[in-house]
Amino acid sequence: MKRKNIIVMPKLSPSMKDAVLVAWNKEINEEVRKGDVLFEVETDKVVCEIEATADGVLEQKFFDEGDHIRVGETVAELID
Amino acid sequence: MKDRIVYVENNFLDPYQSFGLEYYLTAEKTFDDSTVLLFWRTEPTLMVGRYQNTYSEINTEYADQKGINIVRRMSGGGTIYTDLGGWQYSFITRTDKNEISFAEYIAPVIDALQTVGVKAEFNGRNDLVINGKKFSGTAQYMHNGFTVHHGSLLYDTDLEELVKSTTVDEYKILSKGIKSVRDRVTNISEHMEAPVSAEEFRELIVKHLIGDDGIRYNLTQYDMERIDYYAREKFDNWESKFGKNPPFNVVKTGHFEGGNIEMKLDVAKGRIVNADIYGDFFGNIDKSAIEKALKGCEYDSDSVRKRLKDNDFDSCIYRITAEDIADMF
Repeated sequence: MKRKNIIVMPKLSPSMKDAVLVAWNKEINEEVRKGDVLFEVETDKVVCEIEATADGVLEQKFFDEGDHIRVGETVAELID
Repeated sequence: MKDRIVYVENNFLDPYQSFGLEYYLTAEKTFDDSTVLLFWRTEPTLMVGRYQNTYSEINTEYADQKGINIVRRMSGGGTIYTDLGGWQYSFITRTDKNEISFAEYIAPVIDALQTVGVKAEFNGRNDLVINGKKFSGTAQYMHNGFTVHHGSLLYDTDLEELVKSTTVDEYKILSKGIKSVRDRVTNISEHMEAPVSAEEFRELIVKHLIGDDGIRYNLTQYDMERIDYYAREKFDNWESKFGKNPPFNVVKTGHFEGGNIEMKLDVAKGRIVNADIYGDFFGNIDKSAIEKALKGCEYDSDSVRKRLKDNDFDSCIYRITAEDIADMF
Protein backbone atom coordinates (compact mmCIF):
# COMPACT_ATOMS: atom_id res chain seq x y z
CA MET A 1 0.00 0.00 0.00
CA LYS A 2 1.28 3.45 -0.90
CA ARG A 3 2.11 5.77 1.93
CA LYS A 4 1.69 9.53 1.76
CA ASN A 5 4.22 11.87 3.35
CA ILE A 6 3.46 15.53 3.54
CA ILE A 7 6.06 18.28 3.76
CA VAL A 8 4.96 21.37 5.65
CA MET A 9 6.43 24.85 5.91
CA PRO A 10 8.71 24.66 8.95
CA LYS A 11 8.95 27.34 11.61
CA LEU A 12 12.51 28.56 11.27
CA SER A 13 12.48 31.14 14.05
CA PRO A 14 10.21 31.99 16.99
CA SER A 15 8.86 35.07 15.21
CA MET A 16 8.40 33.51 11.77
CA LYS A 17 4.81 33.50 10.51
CA ASP A 18 5.29 32.82 6.81
CA ALA A 19 7.87 32.62 4.05
CA VAL A 20 8.04 33.03 0.27
CA LEU A 21 8.64 29.90 -1.74
CA VAL A 22 11.43 31.08 -4.03
CA ALA A 23 12.47 27.91 -5.86
CA TRP A 24 11.34 24.36 -6.48
CA ASN A 25 14.32 22.03 -6.83
CA LYS A 26 12.32 18.92 -7.79
CA GLU A 27 9.77 18.16 -10.49
CA ILE A 28 6.45 16.32 -10.19
CA ASN A 29 7.00 12.54 -10.43
CA GLU A 30 10.67 12.94 -9.61
CA GLU A 31 12.15 10.57 -7.06
CA VAL A 32 13.17 12.26 -3.84
CA ARG A 33 15.46 10.90 -1.11
CA LYS A 34 15.26 11.96 2.49
CA GLY A 35 17.64 14.90 2.88
CA ASP A 36 17.36 16.09 -0.75
CA VAL A 37 16.66 19.79 -1.11
CA LEU A 38 13.00 19.91 -2.15
CA PHE A 39 12.45 23.67 -2.28
CA GLU A 40 13.91 26.95 -1.05
CA VAL A 41 12.19 29.64 0.97
CA GLU A 42 13.06 33.21 1.86
CA THR A 43 12.03 34.92 5.07
CA ASP A 44 13.55 37.85 6.93
CA LYS A 45 16.57 38.10 4.56
CA VAL A 46 17.34 34.40 4.95
CA VAL A 47 17.31 31.91 2.11
CA CYS A 48 16.86 28.42 3.46
CA GLU A 49 16.97 25.07 1.71
CA ILE A 50 14.13 22.80 2.86
CA GLU A 51 14.96 19.14 2.73
CA ALA A 52 12.59 16.20 2.23
CA THR A 53 11.86 14.52 5.54
CA ALA A 54 11.11 11.16 3.88
CA ASP A 55 11.83 9.18 0.71
CA GLY A 56 9.26 9.11 -2.06
CA VAL A 57 8.07 10.42 -5.40
CA LEU A 58 6.95 14.04 -5.57
CA GLU A 59 3.21 13.67 -6.16
CA GLN A 60 1.92 17.19 -5.65
CA LYS A 61 3.12 20.76 -5.24
CA PHE A 62 0.56 22.89 -3.43
CA PHE A 63 2.26 26.22 -4.11
CA ASP A 64 4.09 28.01 -6.92
CA GLU A 65 7.32 29.99 -6.81
CA GLY A 66 6.54 33.46 -5.46
CA ASP A 67 3.71 32.29 -3.16
CA HIS A 68 3.61 33.26 0.51
CA ILE A 69 3.12 30.20 2.70
CA ARG A 70 2.16 30.21 6.37
CA VAL A 71 4.06 28.11 8.89
CA GLY A 72 2.52 24.64 9.10
CA GLU A 73 0.80 24.69 5.69
CA THR A 74 1.32 21.67 3.47
CA VAL A 75 3.75 22.50 0.67
CA ALA A 76 4.27 19.12 -1.00
CA GLU A 77 3.11 15.55 -0.95
CA LEU A 78 5.39 12.56 -1.48
CA ILE A 79 4.18 9.02 -2.24
CA ASP A 80 6.40 6.25 -0.93
CA MET B 1 27.91 30.05 16.60
CA LYS B 2 30.69 27.78 17.84
CA ASP B 3 33.02 28.75 20.67
CA ARG B 4 36.15 28.72 18.55
CA ILE B 5 36.74 30.96 15.52
CA VAL B 6 38.85 30.04 12.49
CA TYR B 7 39.82 33.25 10.72
CA VAL B 8 40.48 32.80 7.01
CA GLU B 9 42.31 35.86 5.78
CA ASN B 10 40.77 37.01 2.54
CA ASN B 11 42.47 39.79 0.59
CA PHE B 12 40.48 39.35 -2.62
CA LEU B 13 39.05 42.62 -3.86
CA ASP B 14 37.06 40.76 -6.51
CA PRO B 15 33.56 40.08 -5.10
CA TYR B 16 33.14 36.92 -7.17
CA GLN B 17 36.20 35.36 -5.50
CA SER B 18 34.99 36.32 -2.04
CA PHE B 19 31.57 34.79 -2.65
CA GLY B 20 33.32 31.80 -4.23
CA LEU B 21 35.37 31.44 -1.04
CA GLU B 22 32.26 31.62 1.13
CA TYR B 23 30.59 28.93 -0.91
CA TYR B 24 33.74 26.75 -0.96
CA LEU B 25 33.74 26.85 2.84
CA THR B 26 30.23 25.34 2.90
CA ALA B 27 30.68 22.86 0.06
CA GLU B 28 34.23 21.46 0.25
CA LYS B 29 36.63 22.91 2.77
CA THR B 30 34.50 22.66 5.86
CA PHE B 31 35.29 23.33 9.51
CA ASP B 32 32.68 21.44 11.51
CA ASP B 33 33.73 22.31 15.06
CA SER B 34 34.51 25.97 14.59
CA THR B 35 32.84 29.04 13.14
CA VAL B 36 34.74 30.43 10.18
CA LEU B 37 35.20 34.20 10.04
CA LEU B 38 35.95 36.15 6.87
CA PHE B 39 36.51 39.91 6.79
CA TRP B 40 36.77 41.30 3.30
CA ARG B 41 36.14 44.20 0.97
CA THR B 42 35.50 44.75 -2.70
CA GLU B 43 36.09 47.07 -5.58
CA PRO B 44 32.87 49.02 -6.31
CA THR B 45 30.15 46.36 -6.42
CA LEU B 46 26.39 46.05 -6.33
CA MET B 47 25.22 42.93 -4.51
CA VAL B 48 21.64 41.91 -5.21
CA GLY B 49 19.66 39.47 -3.08
CA ARG B 50 19.26 35.86 -4.20
CA TYR B 51 15.80 36.29 -5.74
CA GLN B 52 15.77 39.98 -6.60
CA ASN B 53 15.31 41.45 -10.04
CA THR B 54 18.63 43.02 -11.01
CA TYR B 55 16.91 45.45 -13.39
CA SER B 56 14.55 46.87 -10.79
CA GLU B 57 17.27 47.20 -8.12
CA ILE B 58 20.23 48.54 -10.05
CA ASN B 59 20.89 51.36 -12.48
CA THR B 60 22.60 48.95 -14.88
CA GLU B 61 23.52 51.69 -17.35
CA TYR B 62 25.27 53.65 -14.62
CA ALA B 63 26.97 50.50 -13.32
CA ASP B 64 28.22 49.72 -16.86
CA GLN B 65 29.58 53.22 -17.38
CA LYS B 66 31.39 53.21 -14.05
CA GLY B 67 32.61 49.62 -14.27
CA ILE B 68 30.77 48.64 -11.10
CA ASN B 69 30.61 44.88 -10.55
CA ILE B 70 27.23 43.19 -10.23
CA VAL B 71 26.93 40.02 -8.19
CA ARG B 72 24.01 37.96 -6.93
CA ARG B 73 24.40 36.80 -3.34
CA MET B 74 23.22 33.42 -2.09
CA SER B 75 21.34 35.14 0.74
CA GLY B 76 18.05 37.00 0.81
CA GLY B 77 17.37 40.67 1.44
CA GLY B 78 17.98 43.80 -0.61
CA THR B 79 20.65 45.30 -2.81
CA ILE B 80 23.73 46.89 -1.28
CA TYR B 81 26.60 48.91 -2.72
CA THR B 82 30.13 48.17 -1.51
CA ASP B 83 33.52 49.69 -2.27
CA LEU B 84 37.03 49.79 -0.81
CA GLY B 85 35.74 52.09 1.94
CA GLY B 86 33.54 49.38 3.40
CA TRP B 87 34.00 45.92 4.87
CA GLN B 88 32.01 42.71 4.67
CA TYR B 89 32.14 39.99 7.26
CA SER B 90 30.98 36.39 7.02
CA PHE B 91 30.41 33.78 9.72
CA ILE B 92 30.07 30.19 8.50
CA THR B 93 28.83 27.59 10.98
CA ARG B 94 27.81 23.93 10.77
CA THR B 95 24.25 23.71 12.11
CA ASP B 96 22.26 20.60 12.89
CA LYS B 97 18.86 22.11 12.24
CA ASN B 98 17.32 24.85 10.17
CA GLU B 99 16.96 27.62 12.68
CA ILE B 100 17.31 31.30 11.93
CA SER B 101 19.24 33.28 14.48
CA PHE B 102 20.75 36.67 13.80
CA ALA B 103 21.43 37.84 17.33
CA GLU B 104 24.28 35.39 18.03
CA TYR B 105 26.22 36.75 15.03
CA ILE B 106 25.34 40.41 15.43
CA ALA B 107 26.14 40.70 19.15
CA PRO B 108 29.90 40.10 18.72
CA VAL B 109 30.02 42.72 15.95
CA ILE B 110 28.32 45.30 18.18
CA ASP B 111 30.82 44.42 20.94
CA ALA B 112 33.76 44.74 18.55
CA LEU B 113 32.56 48.16 17.39
CA GLN B 114 32.45 49.30 21.01
CA THR B 115 36.19 48.65 21.26
CA VAL B 116 36.72 51.38 18.63
CA GLY B 117 34.36 53.75 20.41
CA VAL B 118 31.26 53.24 18.26
CA LYS B 119 27.90 52.70 19.94
CA ALA B 120 25.85 50.65 17.53
CA GLU B 121 22.35 49.24 17.96
CA PHE B 122 20.27 46.52 16.38
CA ASN B 123 17.15 47.98 14.70
CA GLY B 124 15.00 44.86 14.62
CA ARG B 125 15.16 44.47 10.82
CA ASN B 126 18.52 42.79 11.18
CA ASP B 127 20.30 46.05 10.43
CA LEU B 128 22.74 47.92 12.63
CA VAL B 129 22.29 51.63 13.21
CA ILE B 130 24.16 54.52 14.84
CA ASN B 131 21.81 57.27 16.05
CA GLY B 132 19.06 55.71 13.95
CA LYS B 133 21.10 55.72 10.72
CA LYS B 134 21.93 52.42 9.06
CA PHE B 135 25.53 51.42 8.44
CA SER B 136 25.22 47.66 8.28
CA GLY B 137 22.83 45.19 6.70
CA THR B 138 22.89 41.48 7.35
CA ALA B 139 21.51 38.40 5.62
CA GLN B 140 21.87 34.64 5.74
CA TYR B 141 21.64 31.51 3.68
CA MET B 142 21.62 27.90 4.67
CA HIS B 143 23.36 25.41 2.44
CA ASN B 144 24.64 21.87 2.87
CA GLY B 145 24.08 21.95 6.63
CA PHE B 146 25.86 25.28 7.10
CA THR B 147 24.52 28.69 8.04
CA VAL B 148 26.28 31.56 6.34
CA HIS B 149 25.63 34.85 8.07
CA HIS B 150 27.13 37.83 6.31
CA GLY B 151 26.92 41.56 6.77
CA SER B 152 28.20 44.81 5.36
CA LEU B 153 29.88 47.58 7.33
CA LEU B 154 29.97 51.04 5.79
CA TYR B 155 33.22 52.49 7.07
CA ASP B 156 34.18 55.18 4.58
CA THR B 157 32.05 54.28 1.56
CA ASP B 158 31.22 56.77 -1.19
CA LEU B 159 27.55 57.32 -0.28
CA GLU B 160 26.85 59.38 -3.40
CA GLU B 161 27.87 56.44 -5.60
CA LEU B 162 25.74 54.20 -3.41
CA VAL B 163 22.64 56.30 -4.15
CA LYS B 164 23.36 56.81 -7.87
CA SER B 165 24.01 53.17 -8.61
CA THR B 166 20.89 51.94 -6.85
CA THR B 167 18.48 54.53 -8.26
CA VAL B 168 16.44 53.16 -11.11
CA ASP B 169 13.80 55.83 -11.68
CA GLU B 170 13.91 55.50 -15.42
CA TYR B 171 12.83 51.89 -15.25
CA LYS B 172 9.10 51.60 -14.83
CA ILE B 173 9.19 47.98 -13.97
CA LEU B 174 6.21 46.12 -12.60
CA SER B 175 8.34 43.63 -10.81
CA LYS B 176 7.22 40.46 -9.18
CA GLY B 177 10.47 40.52 -7.23
CA ILE B 178 10.76 41.92 -3.74
CA LYS B 179 11.95 45.51 -3.69
CA SER B 180 14.56 46.40 -1.16
CA VAL B 181 13.87 49.17 1.27
CA ARG B 182 16.41 51.94 1.23
CA ASP B 183 17.07 53.36 4.62
CA ARG B 184 19.08 56.42 5.45
CA VAL B 185 22.69 55.43 5.85
CA THR B 186 25.92 56.58 7.52
CA ASN B 187 29.62 55.67 7.63
CA ILE B 188 31.17 54.29 10.84
CA SER B 189 34.27 56.51 10.54
CA GLU B 190 32.09 59.62 10.95
CA HIS B 191 31.26 58.44 14.47
CA MET B 192 34.81 57.76 15.66
CA GLU B 193 36.66 60.37 17.64
CA ALA B 194 39.93 59.38 15.99
CA PRO B 195 39.21 57.57 12.72
CA VAL B 196 41.84 55.04 11.62
CA SER B 197 42.59 53.72 8.13
CA ALA B 198 40.27 51.06 6.69
CA GLU B 199 43.05 48.44 7.10
CA GLU B 200 43.65 49.35 10.75
CA PHE B 201 39.91 49.19 11.36
CA ARG B 202 39.88 45.62 10.01
CA GLU B 203 42.72 44.56 12.28
CA LEU B 204 41.04 45.99 15.38
CA ILE B 205 37.68 44.38 14.67
CA VAL B 206 39.11 41.01 13.57
CA LYS B 207 41.35 40.79 16.63
CA HIS B 208 38.32 41.26 18.86
CA LEU B 209 36.17 38.77 16.93
CA ILE B 210 38.84 36.03 16.89
CA GLY B 211 39.38 36.30 20.64
CA ASP B 212 42.15 34.49 22.49
CA ASP B 213 41.31 30.97 21.28
CA GLY B 214 40.84 31.65 17.59
CA ILE B 215 43.18 30.37 14.92
CA ARG B 216 44.20 31.71 11.54
CA TYR B 217 44.05 29.62 8.38
CA ASN B 218 45.98 30.58 5.25
CA LEU B 219 44.54 29.59 1.88
CA THR B 220 46.59 27.11 -0.15
CA GLN B 221 47.17 27.03 -3.89
CA TYR B 222 44.58 24.25 -4.16
CA ASP B 223 42.06 26.34 -2.20
CA MET B 224 42.65 29.22 -4.62
CA GLU B 225 41.95 27.01 -7.63
CA ARG B 226 38.67 25.77 -6.16
CA ILE B 227 37.65 29.30 -5.11
CA ASP B 228 38.25 30.54 -8.67
CA TYR B 229 36.16 27.64 -9.96
CA TYR B 230 33.18 28.56 -7.74
CA ALA B 231 33.64 32.27 -8.48
CA ARG B 232 33.26 31.59 -12.21
CA GLU B 233 30.62 28.87 -12.03
CA LYS B 234 28.28 30.35 -9.46
CA PHE B 235 28.80 34.10 -9.43
CA ASP B 236 30.69 35.72 -12.30
CA ASN B 237 28.43 34.87 -15.24
CA TRP B 238 25.39 36.28 -17.04
CA GLU B 239 23.17 33.42 -15.88
CA SER B 240 23.77 34.24 -12.22
CA LYS B 241 23.53 38.02 -12.56
CA PHE B 242 20.52 38.25 -14.88
CA GLY B 243 19.25 34.76 -15.74
CA LYS B 244 18.07 34.18 -12.18
CA ASN B 245 15.85 37.26 -12.11
CA PRO B 246 12.21 36.54 -11.25
CA PRO B 247 9.77 37.09 -14.14
CA PHE B 248 8.72 40.70 -14.72
CA ASN B 249 6.85 42.93 -17.19
CA VAL B 250 8.25 46.18 -18.46
CA VAL B 251 7.12 48.93 -20.85
CA LYS B 252 9.77 50.68 -22.93
CA THR B 253 9.03 53.86 -24.85
CA GLY B 254 11.13 55.73 -27.40
CA HIS B 255 10.55 58.98 -29.31
CA PHE B 256 12.44 59.28 -32.59
CA GLU B 257 12.40 61.28 -35.81
CA GLY B 258 10.51 58.46 -37.47
CA GLY B 259 7.84 58.24 -34.77
CA ASN B 260 7.12 56.79 -31.36
CA ILE B 261 7.61 53.21 -30.28
CA GLU B 262 6.19 51.47 -27.23
CA MET B 263 7.22 47.95 -26.36
CA LYS B 264 5.48 45.82 -23.75
CA LEU B 265 7.82 43.05 -22.74
CA ASP B 266 7.53 39.94 -20.60
CA VAL B 267 10.92 38.87 -19.30
CA ALA B 268 11.74 35.57 -17.63
CA LYS B 269 15.14 34.18 -16.65
CA GLY B 270 16.70 37.33 -18.09
CA ARG B 271 15.27 36.77 -21.59
CA ILE B 272 12.38 38.37 -23.49
CA VAL B 273 9.62 35.76 -23.70
CA ASN B 274 6.98 37.99 -25.27
CA ALA B 275 7.06 41.37 -26.99
CA ASP B 276 4.16 43.56 -28.13
CA ILE B 277 5.14 46.60 -30.16
CA TYR B 278 2.94 49.68 -30.73
CA GLY B 279 3.59 53.06 -32.31
CA ASP B 280 3.05 55.48 -35.18
CA PHE B 281 6.18 54.54 -37.11
CA PHE B 282 6.32 53.55 -40.77
CA GLY B 283 8.27 50.75 -42.32
CA ASN B 284 8.48 48.05 -44.90
CA ILE B 285 8.16 45.26 -42.36
CA ASP B 286 5.34 43.95 -40.23
CA LYS B 287 5.81 44.69 -36.52
CA SER B 288 5.10 41.05 -35.71
CA ALA B 289 8.38 40.10 -37.43
CA ILE B 290 10.28 42.31 -34.97
CA GLU B 291 8.26 40.93 -32.05
CA LYS B 292 9.14 37.41 -33.16
CA ALA B 293 12.83 38.28 -33.53
CA LEU B 294 13.00 39.67 -30.01
CA LYS B 295 11.62 36.50 -28.44
CA GLY B 296 14.35 34.63 -26.61
CA CYS B 297 16.74 37.58 -26.81
CA GLU B 298 18.67 38.47 -23.67
CA TYR B 299 17.14 41.55 -22.04
CA ASP B 300 19.93 44.06 -22.58
CA SER B 301 20.92 46.73 -25.05
CA ASP B 302 23.82 44.91 -26.74
CA SER B 303 21.87 41.72 -27.28
CA VAL B 304 18.84 43.55 -28.71
CA ARG B 305 21.07 45.55 -31.06
CA LYS B 306 22.77 42.40 -32.32
CA ARG B 307 19.48 40.53 -32.68
CA LEU B 308 17.90 43.33 -34.77
CA LYS B 309 20.97 43.75 -36.97
CA ASP B 310 21.34 39.99 -37.51
CA ASN B 311 17.74 39.94 -38.71
CA ASP B 312 18.33 42.89 -41.10
CA PHE B 313 15.94 45.17 -39.24
CA ASP B 314 18.41 48.03 -39.16
CA SER B 315 16.87 50.06 -41.96
CA CYS B 316 13.38 48.70 -42.32
CA ILE B 317 11.68 51.32 -40.16
CA TYR B 318 11.65 54.87 -41.46
CA ARG B 319 14.19 56.95 -39.50
CA ILE B 320 14.42 54.50 -36.61
CA THR B 321 17.54 52.33 -36.49
CA ALA B 322 18.40 49.17 -34.56
CA GLU B 323 20.68 51.43 -32.53
CA ASP B 324 17.71 53.62 -31.53
CA ILE B 325 15.68 50.63 -30.40
CA ALA B 326 18.63 49.12 -28.52
CA ASP B 327 19.13 52.41 -26.70
CA MET B 328 15.62 52.03 -25.24
CA PHE B 329 17.00 49.17 -23.12
